[in-house]
Amino acid sequence: MHAGEYRPMTADTLPLNKSGKIVEIFSSPLKINLMELGFLPGKNITHQHSAPSGGPMAFQMDETLLALRKSEAALIRIEQI
Amino acid sequence: MAEATLSRQTTATQIALVGNPNVGKSTIFNYLTGLNQKIGNYPGVTVDKKTGSVEINGEVFEILDLPGTYSLFPNSEDEIIAHRVLNHTKLEARPDNVLMIIDSSQLSRGLFLSTQLIDLGVNLAIILNMADLAQKKNIEIKTYELFKSLGVPILSTDARNQKGLEEVKNLISQRNFCKAPSFVDIQQVIPAEMLDLVQKKFDLENSYQAYQLIRFGTKDKAIAAGDRIWLENLNQESKFDLEEAQLEETKIRYKKITEIVTRALIKKTEPKKLKSNLDKVFLHPILGYVVFVSILLLIFQAIFTWASYPMDMIDGLFADISARISAALPDGPLTRLLSEGLIPGIGGVVIFIPQIAMLFGFLAILEGTGYMSRVVFLMDRWMRPFGLHGKSIVPLVSGVACAIPGVMAARNISNWKEKMITILITPLMSCSARLPVYIILIGLVVPDEVMFGIINLQALALLGLYLLGVVGVFGTAFLLKLILKTTEKSFLLTELPPYRIPRLGDVGITMFEKSKTFVVEAGKVILAISIVLWVLASYGPPSRMDQIRLEGEVRLENVTDEAQIAEIKAETSSHLLENSFIGIMGRAIEPAIKPLGYDWKIGIALITSFAAREVFVSTMATIYSIGGDLEDELTIREKLDQQINANTGEKTFNVATSFSLMVFYAFAMQCMSTVAVVKRETKSWKWPLIQTVYMSVLAYLGALITYQILS
Repeated sequence: MHAGEYRPMTADTLPLNKSGKIVEIFSSPLKINLMELGFLPGKNITHQHSAPSGGPMAFQMDETLLALRKSEAALIRIEQI
Repeated sequence: MAEATLSRQTTATQIALVGNPNVGKSTIFNYLTGLNQKIGNYPGVTVDKKTGSVEINGEVFEILDLPGTYSLFPNSEDEIIAHRVLNHTKLEARPDNVLMIIDSSQLSRGLFLSTQLIDLGVNLAIILNMADLAQKKNIEIKTYELFKSLGVPILSTDARNQKGLEEVKNLISQRNFCKAPSFVDIQQVIPAEMLDLVQKKFDLENSYQAYQLIRFGTKDKAIAAGDRIWLENLNQESKFDLEEAQLEETKIRYKKITEIVTRALIKKTEPKKLKSNLDKVFLHPILGYVVFVSILLLIFQAIFTWASYPMDMIDGLFADISARISAALPDGPLTRLLSEGLIPGIGGVVIFIPQIAMLFGFLAILEGTGYMSRVVFLMDRWMRPFGLHGKSIVPLVSGVACAIPGVMAARNISNWKEKMITILITPLMSCSARLPVYIILIGLVVPDEVMFGIINLQALALLGLYLLGVVGVFGTAFLLKLILKTTEKSFLLTELPPYRIPRLGDVGITMFEKSKTFVVEAGKVILAISIVLWVLASYGPPSRMDQIRLEGEVRLENVTDEAQIAEIKAETSSHLLENSFIGIMGRAIEPAIKPLGYDWKIGIALITSFAAREVFVSTMATIYSIGGDLEDELTIREKLDQQINANTGEKTFNVATSFSLMVFYAFAMQCMSTVAVVKRETKSWKWPLIQTVYMSVLAYLGALITYQILS
């Protein structure tokens, strides 16, 4: 972790194999779906896989690998760690 | 509210199984109920109601398997059902007890739904399943600590390895469920007066039930319209932001859960966050697809080779039964109904079982290993432009073998619109029943020659027909995407579960249950239609039919040569079919099909093969009085090649007509089993009807264009 290197971004722009800490979930009809799966502020996620051509992304969070569409990942604001 | 929806079929104590997806709920359900499973309906939705029974110490319990869900917030039909059953007792009989199943390695997520159940005031017990997985991840759960925090009985199991399941049975038989004190006080997020008002009006047990009704009742069409309007007005008058309240509730709930999990969960070592090696290949942007296509090829290879043996056996068995019946019983309408209508009708249903069972066997294995969700991950991006979901790939791929299991597999798609589009287009994939038709016609008009040294022209034509099906699928999907409307938002948001070895017992039960569902539910419709078709093909205006029979007998009188006898008999059946009601219908539709290049004889085959497209071949054989062995493609082909179209004076099966027919069969529904299954899956006649009409129109136009260009 690099202290002081605060860069606000959303999960869909997180580079492969990089991790981020969730800051907030943007308002959307899918917000509740994300939250009930455990995407909550304070959680760490790591970008593990990407399907080609703008396809879904897979994030490791705690013990699970979760797949999201890019548009869904864009609802998750993170800070890179 | 109608009394009927409240009453239960049995008086046995009912226990509902609830849990997140992929927590081993079906394994526990299968363990408890074995083959004593029943599939029924919930009013107004396409979700199946899965129940089963189990006898423990001489007492029978009814087990209700609710669809997997992450919360009680209804986002899909599956979740609406979970919401409806557990929430307000007036729409669905509420189960006496609820058994919540949690994946031990996903404790917080499981507790989210569990604590919602506690707040609803249900009689609850919790099973911490997948103990083996937790162990692998070096997680230990202090069950007693959890019990103290929640106040409901907790059991630890490893259902895959049959550990702890006896205890589950004991828990059920001792009714060791209890109502715990409320977990999140919902009055923290919603004004108490509003909750009280709703609780009183709907006669509810507690304020969390009232909150659920306020939040979601307005969207649930199963609630009386007056009540919905009342709720809507209440919401508007209060000017209260319900969505914000729901998010607040989620936050509070997860905060409390995190506190509990910190106390109850011991992580012995920090888990290694290494990527699964398998995923490095299976989710690879290029290799992932190579693996997927290879697995598909393997499965189809297996289905086409293995399924043909039982299918031939079934075919032979039913032909044999028919022959024996007609030999044993005196000739007459009843005997013929039995041997020519009923028995082949049942055979026509049973013949699909090997393919359905095998396809579902493979799908269950892929699902059980965790691979299927990887396929969804890879395919979602390519399906979405056509209004489909990553999950649509399974029905479409199944459709290459048979549309029936494909349509049945579409139920895993939670979004209504995506599910409907998938069901409507799946029968356009070229299924195995189209093959015999294609092969005969291609053999007639495409020379068996090799182009550029490697490409066989006949194979090329066949490939072209398969591609035509694929183009039809995606073109139609795109149009349907523009036509169908929904307010549901499509989402992927899914777990990619760890790879595991599937349990063969679960695979076996899936194969059995799916085949049973098909035979029981679709079988009735199929049988009814095949009897109607048989009557139409066997009967006609009595005077003409009798005359033909008599002429046949007269011609047979002085003939002794066996070949000649067979020929006369074949000619007589041909005349009989031509003059039957179906023959009359074939003549009647001739003006409509003339622009496609067909004469009335082909018209007859189009009508008879409405039941099943492969019937085309046998009808052609009857019409052109081909006696003897139908299996011999060459005889049929030679006979067809000699036919002259009375309208044009040319060969009936010239290039234009043959291709026109192939295009027709590529697009036309011509399969009542599919119609029956679509009716079952959509729970209405509206969709199969729309589907049959649009496919027929597509087939007609496609054939028309083909014929007009080629002739």
